[in-house]
Amino acid sequence: MSAAVIDAGVRVSNVSKSFGADGSRVTVLDDVSLTIGMGEFVSVIGPSGCGKSTLLKVVAGLIDADGGTVQIDGSTVRAAAADKRIGLVPQSPALLPWRTVLDNVRLPLTVNRRADAGRAIRDPKELLASFGLGHAMQKYPGQLSGGMQQRAAIARAFVFDPAIMLMDEPFSALDEMNRDQQRLGLLDFWQSNRKAVLFVTHSVPEAIMLSDRIVVMAAHPGRIDRIIDVDLPRPRTEEAYASDEFRELERVVRTALHEVMGGAHV
Amino acid sequence: MSETSTIDATASMAAAELADRRSRRDAPSARRAPAWLRPRVWLPTAITFAVAAFLWQFVAITNPYVIPTLDAIGASLAGDPAMYWANFLVTLQEVVIGAASGIVAGFLLAVVMAEFRLIERAVMPLVVVVMVTPIVAIAPALVVAFGFGMMPKYIVTALVVFFPMLVNSLAGLRDVDVKALDVFRTLHASKWEIFRDLRFPGCMPYVFAGLRIALPLAVVGAAVAEFVAAGQQAGLGSLVTTSAAQANLPVTWASIALLCVMGVLLVSLLAVVRKRVLWWSDGEVVAR
Ligand SMILES: Nc1ncnc2c1ncn2[C@@H]1O[C@H](COP(=O)(O)OP(=O)(O)OP(=O)(O)O)[C@@H](O)[C@H]1O
Ligand SMILES: [Mg+2]
Repeated sequence: MSAAVIDAGVRVSNVSKSFGADGSRVTVLDDVSLTIGMGEFVSVIGPSGCGKSTLLKVVAGLIDADGGTVQIDGSTVRAAAADKRIGLVPQSPALLPWRTVLDNVRLPLTVNRRADAGRAIRDPKELLASFGLGHAMQKYPGQLSGGMQQRAAIARAFVFDPAIMLMDEPFSALDEMNRDQQRLGLLDFWQSNRKAVLFVTHSVPEAIMLSDRIVVMAAHPGRIDRIIDVDLPRPRTEEAYASDEFRELERVVRTALHEVMGGAHV
Repeated sequence: MSETSTIDATASMAAAELADRRSRRDAPSARRAPAWLRPRVWLPTAITFAVAAFLWQFVAITNPYVIPTLDAIGASLAGDPAMYWANFLVTLQEVVIGAASGIVAGFLLAVVMAEFRLIERAVMPLVVVVMVTPIVAIAPALVVAFGFGMMPKYIVTALVVFFPMLVNSLAGLRDVDVKALDVFRTLHASKWEIFRDLRFPGCMPYVFAGLRIALPLAVVGAAVAEFVAAGQQAGLGSLVTTSAAQANLPVTWASIALLCVMGVLLVSLLAVVRKRVLWWSDGEVVAR
C-alpha cells in the first residue's frame, strides 16, 4: 500500500479546541498543524497553560478537537487507537500498585487483544531488562523509586510496538540528577528503537538532547509559534551537552521562548 | 537498529538504576517483631480492661439488681454452653446471610450506578428515603409481611449493610486514577477490561472502608430484628429481651457479651483479610 507509506507518521491539520461555556470560551488550540514523520522525535515546549497537554490529548484521542483533523499512519485517531497504535506515557507513571512491574508492563497485551494479531509484540522481560529493570520485574511499583517507576511506564508504552509514542513531561516529577539519567536512558533506547514520538517538556536541554525538531508554542490562544530544527548528529550521547552547537541551540530556543512569553523570564 | 547501541542503552540504564537505589523504599518483607508483643503496646489496653472489670465488680456487688457480677455471667455461660452456642449460631447465620446479601447488592448497584449516571439519578433518591427510615420501625412491619422465620432478620440485616456498601463502593469506583484511565483509553480497552483491571481492584480500599462500617452494623441489625420478632429460632437478641423481661440478669449480660464477641470477631477477621488483599494500598480510606 503506497498510500500508507506516504501517510506514515502523524499529521495534525488545522486543529482547534476551546474550553468553557459560550460566554467565557477560551481558545486553547488555534489552528495547530504539525507532522511527525516515522521515527521522528518531536518535542513541544512553551509557557505553562499554552495547550501542550491538550494537543497531546487530542492526538491520543482522549479529547475531541472542535475543528481540524489528526491522522495517524493515514487513519483516524479512533481507528489507530482501536488498532492499538498509540503509546501513552503520562506525567505520573500511573502504574497499577497491585500488579508487579512485569504485570504492569504486560497490561497492554491483556486488553484489546483483537489488535494484537500479526504484530511485533516485544518480550516484556527483555524490554524491562533493557530499561535496567531486569532485577525489579517481580517487585511492586511501591517498592521502586520514581525514576524506576517512570521507566516501567515507558516500557509499558513500548511493549505493544505502537506507531506513535506520546509523552507528557514524563520526567518532570524527578529531581534534576535523576532526570538527566532517565533522559539519557530514553535517548539511548529510542535511538536503537526509532518511533515517532511527541514529547511535551518544560526543559530546554531535554528538548534539544532528545529531539529532531522542537515545536515552540505560544499562549492565549495556544498556537505554534515556530519550529526549530535540531541538527545535532545522532546517535547522541552525554557529550553533546558540551558542544558549541548545543549551546547555540539552547540560545536559539531560549530566545524563542522569551519572545513567546512577551519578554518575561523563562 | 545496531546491537552495540542496545548494549550501550542497557549500560546507561543500569547506571540510572544505581542512582535510583539510594532513594528506593524498603521492601515490605522486612520483618520486625509484631507490635502487640511489646508491653508499651498491650499494657495500656490491659490496664484499662482491668480497671473497667474492677469497677464493674464493685457496682455489681453493691447493687445486685442493676448488673450481675462477672463470675455470675461466667457461671451462666459455663452452666449451659450448648444453649448459648445454639443462639450464637442463629444470630451469626442472620448476620452472615443478611450481610452477604447486603454487601453483594450494595456493590452491584454501585457498579451499575458508576457506569450509568442516569440510573444513579433515578434510583439514589429512593435509596436515601429507605435509608433514613428508622430500621427499628421497619422491622415489625417486615414480621407482619414475612412471619417469624429468618426472612425478616435477613432483610433487616441486609438493609443496614446495603447503604454503607453502596455509598463507599460508588465513591471507590468513581475515584479512579485518571492517568491510568487515559492509558487504558488510548489502548482502546473495553468497559469490561477497564472494570476488571482498573476500577474493580482500585475501589477495594473504599470497599473495605465500607465493610468496616457495615459488619458491626450487621450485628446491630440482626439483634434489633430479633428484639421485635423473637420467633421460633431465638438468637442472642431474643435471649436478651426474654431474659431481661424475667430479670434474669446473668443470661442477659452473657448474651450481650456474646454479641460483642461476635462483632469483635467479624471486625478482626476483616482486618486480617484487608491486610492480605490491600497490602498495596498506602492509607486507610475514610469511610462515609
Ligand atoms: N478540561 C478542561 N476544561 C477547561 N479548561 C481546560 C481543560 N483542560 C485544559 N484547560 C485549559 O486549557 C489551557 C491549556 O491547558 P493544558 O493543560 O493543555 O496546558 P499545558 O500547556 O499542558 O500547561 P502545563 O505546561 O502547565 O502542563 C489551560 O488554560 C487550562 O486551564
Ligand atoms: Mg501539561
